[in-house]
Amino acid sequence: MTGATTAKDEGFMQQGEPLAAALPWLEDARALEKPAAGWVNALRETGADSFAHTGLPTPRWEGWQYTNLRPLAKHKFHYDPAPVNFDAAALPAPLLADAGRVVLVNGQYQEKLSTLPEGVEAASLMEAAAQKWPGIEDQLVRVGDLAQTPLTALNSAYLKDGFVLRVAKGRDIEQPVEVLYYNIGAEKDAQAAPAIYPRALYQLGENSGLTIIERHMGQGVYLANSYIAAAQDSASRLRFYRFMAESGDAFHFSNTALQQEKNGYFEGFSSATGGAVARQEFRLLLIDTLNSASIGGIYLLDGQQSHDFTILADHFEEGGKSAQHFKGVIDDQARAVFQGKIHVRRSAQKTDGYQSHHALLLSAAAEASAKPELEIYADDVKCSHGATSGFLDPVALFYLRSRGIPVDDAKDMLVESFLNENLEKVSCEPVRDLYRAQVSAWLAGRRK
Amino acid sequence: MLEIKNLHARVDGKEVLKGIDLTIEPGKVHAIMGPNGSGKSTLSYVLAGREGYEVTQGTATFMGENLLELDPEHRAALGLFLAFQYPVEIPGVTTTTFMKTALNAIRKKRGEKELDPASFLKLQKQKTAEIGMEPEMLKRGVNVGFSGGEKKRNEVLQLAMLQPKLAVLDETDSGLDIDALKVVADGVNALRAEDRSFLVITHYQRLLEYIKPDVVHVLADGKIRKTGGPELALELEEKGYAEYTGQEEAA
Ligand SMILES: Nc1ncnc2c1ncn2[C@@H]1O[C@H](COP(=O)(O)OP(=O)(O)OP(=O)(O)O)[C@@H](O)[C@H]1O
Ligand SMILES: [Mg+2]
Repeated sequence: MTGATTAKDEGFMQQGEPLAAALPWLEDARALEKPAAGWVNALRETGADSFAHTGLPTPRWEGWQYTNLRPLAKHKFHYDPAPVNFDAAALPAPLLADAGRVVLVNGQYQEKLSTLPEGVEAASLMEAAAQKWPGIEDQLVRVGDLAQTPLTALNSAYLKDGFVLRVAKGRDIEQPVEVLYYNIGAEKDAQAAPAIYPRALYQLGENSGLTIIERHMGQGVYLANSYIAAAQDSASRLRFYRFMAESGDAFHFSNTALQQEKNGYFEGFSSATGGAVARQEFRLLLIDTLNSASIGGIYLLDGQQSHDFTILADHFEEGGKSAQHFKGVIDDQARAVFQGKIHVRRSAQKTDGYQSHHALLLSAAAEASAKPELEIYADDVKCSHGATSGFLDPVALFYLRSRGIPVDDAKDMLVESFLNENLEKVSCEPVRDLYRAQVSAWLAGRRK
Repeated sequence: MLEIKNLHARVDGKEVLKGIDLTIEPGKVHAIMGPNGSGKSTLSYVLAGREGYEVTQGTATFMGENLLELDPEHRAALGLFLAFQYPVEIPGVTTTTFMKTALNAIRKKRGEKELDPASFLKLQKQKTAEIGMEPEMLKRGVNVGFSGGEKKRNEVLQLAMLQPKLAVLDETDSGLDIDALKVVADGVNALRAEDRSFLVITHYQRLLEYIKPDVVHVLADGKIRKTGGPELALELEEKGYAEYTGQEEAA
């Protein structure tokens, strides 16, 4: 296996000028206490070097035309390695009564607040590294081309927080595990605000099964920049559900990388309701044969929110199946971005790839941008995609109203029916109900 | 019940209704016949309050209220029902959910108690059987994948459920086979009552054999050109509309 990719000169030269000097972002990175594991230090160095060259991406970067990071400049973000003070009683209650739980506060793994079902183990990243848990070095340094992903480079430069969770070979864990990423930020108008750099790794042993429910939330102003890896050994099954409900003043950037060996099953779904500026990137790497990976999502945006789903399904070998299905609703001056790519390598014959994105605009000032991309090098493949954006159908609205349904209820019904089609893809029923409730709550909130 | 005076309306800048006068008494069935594009559906949309149908002149009073001032949902609560010429598909909302929401919204507006789920389902089951609709279809998205005739039946089911004071049926007979036509007509006839009126828009005299009208109007080029009894429908079937479309120049 390869080590961390180093920044290639031609990579960032093409990208144009960095938005902001890289140095303020990195000022504390090289001062972090050095852990025992050499690879951690090496990855930090590589990350810092790469970011020092690129800085943050600007709208002139490929893949960053639609999400502008300029609002980050309003604050001075600072990483603090010291343990955070917080009131455990004030943390949100678990979503499902019978689920296991992992809690991270400002990226730091809270062992005392975490409970896990039998067959699942977790440790803080530094702990797991010190104990040399098998596979983690390899799985965590495989971060892709850092020159193309400056936020991941930045996360690497501060590699310290986060956790590793593993499921032993052959264990099929019925109880879902909720992973709460809770972030405590600064006051709304504060200049200085925390930067949070968690890195998580979910390891599924051969022929194991797990359901994860990730919640990203918090209060005040902060930058949550996470790198989340899921490594699926052969014939394992991962259901991965996310609720991205960060504080309305927060910035969320997550890069989620899935690596599947043979015969894996992955079902991912994410809802985006929070954050001022946010981007959720998913990279599904179907490394060996006969994998199936689907990723779906909905977004519910209003005010000045900006949210971006950037997806890559990368087929390496034969017989893989991937699907991306995204839908969202945009109100006020909010904007949504969907960038989806299906990459089929020469040896990935008999690939089945699907992608769709549909945006519903609730106001004339709302904006949706979509960039679908197919890059296919094999000849025996089936790939399709579709993207639409539009307003509520006035004829359908009139039909409902003509039957006595008040206009606001009628609009809600149409929004719910629009999103329902996507929620049907969530196979875990209690989680599907949680997403439904989230949609209802969002709609109810608009009425106030 | 309904009184329309000198009603003019525009769609997309084009004057389509050019002075409609029409009065419907409680308990009566009026039929409107007329050539394609004469403004029949436009009249029905103006009555139901569809956006983009701009009234430029005239009045419409329904149940003593100024109809033209009200939102579509208020008109429905007041007792107006329009069976659409082209019923709308709404994927993701089942007919059952749609019907329950509509019925309870109307009941609420009228100050009546909402129906509990069990009573609602019982009522819906009974009406569905009367209209001859497959109960399975209620679980599908509203009108999604319904045939033309099934969509029309669904309109009549809604009519039977909502029990309006005035039902405007816009070509509910078109697309129906002969048996379905009878079922639909029976459904309508069962609803006939002293305090309930109908405005039936149709191209075919055959429907009027099943639903006997009290009054028949000829609408051509945005105006009611002639009003008579049931025999007028027979006469139109024979002679067509040539006589009325020719009036355009004379007017
Ligand atoms: N949205 C619109 N934009 C422009 N013109 C319209 C629009 N809707 C209706 N019209 C025009 O108004 C006129 C009347 O249409 P309407 O649908 O009321 O006719 P109709 O009598 O119901 O005809 P049919 O018997 O074919 O159903 C037609 O000339 C039609 O083209
Ligand atoms: Mg018509």
